[in-house]
Amino acid sequence: MSVIERNNVHSRGSGERAMVFAHGFGCDQNMWRYVAPAFEDEFRTILFDHVGAGGSDLTAYDKTRYATLDGYADDVVEIGNELGLKDAVFVGHSVSSMIGVLASQKAPDLFGKLVLVGPSARYIDDSDYVGGFSEKQIEELLQFLESNHMGWSAQMAPAIMGNPDRPELGAELTNSFCRTDPEIAKAFARVTFKSDNRADLAKVAVPTLILQCCDDIIASEEVGTFVHANITNSKMIILQATGHCPNLSAPDEVIDAMRTFV
Amino acid sequence: MAPARIDDFHDMFENSPCGYITLQPNGRVQRVNKTLLGWTNRTADEMIGRRFSDFVNMAGRIYYETHIAPLLRMQGFFNEFAIEMVTASGEPVQMICNALEGRDAAGKPEFTRLAFLKATDRRRYERELLNARDVATVSLASERAASELREQFIAVLGHDLRNPLASISAGARIIGREAKTEKEHQVVAMLQTTVMRMAGLIDNVLDFARGRLGGGITLDRNNRERLEPVLHQVVDELRMSSPDRQIEEEYFIDRPVDCDRTRIGQLASNLIGNALTHGAANQPVRVRAETVDGQFKLTVANGGEPIPDVARAKLFEPFFRGDVRASRQGLGLGLHIASQIAKAHDGALAVTSTSEQTIFTFTMPLSGSNGTTPTPSE
Repeated sequence: MSVIERNNVHSRGSGERAMVFAHGFGCDQNMWRYVAPAFEDEFRTILFDHVGAGGSDLTAYDKTRYATLDGYADDVVEIGNELGLKDAVFVGHSVSSMIGVLASQKAPDLFGKLVLVGPSARYIDDSDYVGGFSEKQIEELLQFLESNHMGWSAQMAPAIMGNPDRPELGAELTNSFCRTDPEIAKAFARVTFKSDNRADLAKVAVPTLILQCCDDIIASEEVGTFVHANITNSKMIILQATGHCPNLSAPDEVIDAMRTFV
Repeated sequence: MAPARIDDFHDMFENSPCGYITLQPNGRVQRVNKTLLGWTNRTADEMIGRRFSDFVNMAGRIYYETHIAPLLRMQGFFNEFAIEMVTASGEPVQMICNALEGRDAAGKPEFTRLAFLKATDRRRYERELLNARDVATVSLASERAASELREQFIAVLGHDLRNPLASISAGARIIGREAKTEKEHQVVAMLQTTVMRMAGLIDNVLDFARGRLGGGITLDRNNRERLEPVLHQVVDELRMSSPDRQIEEEYFIDRPVDCDRTRIGQLASNLIGNALTHGAANQPVRVRAETVDGQFKLTVANGGEPIPDVARAKLFEPFFRGDVRASRQGLGLGLHIASQIAKAHDGALAVTSTSEQTIFTFTMPLSGSNGTTPTPSE
């Protein structure tokens, strides 16, 4: 199985430079459906699903590899190498912001700029640091995820997984954009919300744009400011958009902000 | 005049058996019905204008932001999600919720409507099912580990028991050569009999354990070597251990038999041993083996009391022990193992019992289940 199939990589547009879009915890590359097309004239846009999400190859899910964000960052580097990318723009939403931060250190030539949408270097409070969540609340989330299976059922899994050449079998089902194996969803939630990448921020060597929403309970302004303060060459834009997914709720604002930077 | 209550849409909204909330595009509460206010013990003033997620527990907030809000934007609706609201006093209220997004002509979101059903019992039930599954998963894993350990233990035990038994047997043989008195010969013969019986018991226990643990009886089939010497040796050994008993043997094996010769020897030993134990002491045990009609057939017959019908039904079950004196009793595995060996050979073991004689008949096809035609023996 190639990296392209494993991560369900889709490449569009015709620009000289590439722009890689990485989705966060919860859904898949469809999160970028209102943003990515706007850049197709100038950039070669690359969209993909993290292993375990969307149309990725679930059989490639390896508990050990994906027990830390490093495994996901390695995938991003592998995709970049496979496509021969250099000096590309990385656009990461939510947890993928930190995946991009890690990937840019693993392969310094890969990305020339980072766009971090709703980034958080650590979700759990730690003495003076305010992440917004307690350890206990994250444990409750992991348990709660079991109550919501997002249209997933064990009977359906083989039909989706066994027919990579017939994606229409799975694509049109309800909730498919956010559907995943409950065990994988739980593991990804654990990795996401227990990650701590505060020490990695100082190592970011490329220009970085941070897009911060108002009223974001996942990544508050305080958390975004911390990321901004710790990445030397960074700029932060506070969006009018509320919530955690401006790429869906306020795509125009996100596109405009990105244009000023890339 | 106000409409009769049955036709009153406003009343239907406010006092519906489900809760309603309408959100502005920014996620803040625009409207909430009385039913939901009642369930959460809150007032409209308290909720309107605030973020919906302020009234949901933390897990639900994260879930709403990472799954529900994006899905509403992408597919316009999201049905049947579990969410936990929090009452004014901090108590959780489990809900099942459907949501839809209202959009203008340009596709911009205008509002989100949420309908809630209280689902405390259902969620508790689901939680219990999940807990039960987790418990079952853990206990299954520990059960598997224990069973693996047991298998190893039995294999080691069997191996370790066979070695000292071989020493006793060798020692008895050496003493036997120098035995002078009749008494000494008797003791040596008794020792050899006991060793044989113990060896048989160990074989049976090992086979039984393997069968129970899923290993089954494994066969090492061979149709080239003759079966008769194997059977003859089994009979000879049993003659030695029961010198006062008569065992007659007849062989008409003129075709090769595709079988595990050691296993068939074990089967014969178990059947003859059983006949010696339960048959009348003053009548011979008759062993007959033949190849006939594409089959190998082995019969072991003894005289004496017939097997009662009640006992016959359970004869091949493990740990079944007939009515004999304690000193002759085994584990009750002999016939069970014999029937398992028969099954492994795609054969059958049957019994008929009358006041004249009891006959155990083992039959199996001459060629193995793989369908190969045996080559004639020389």
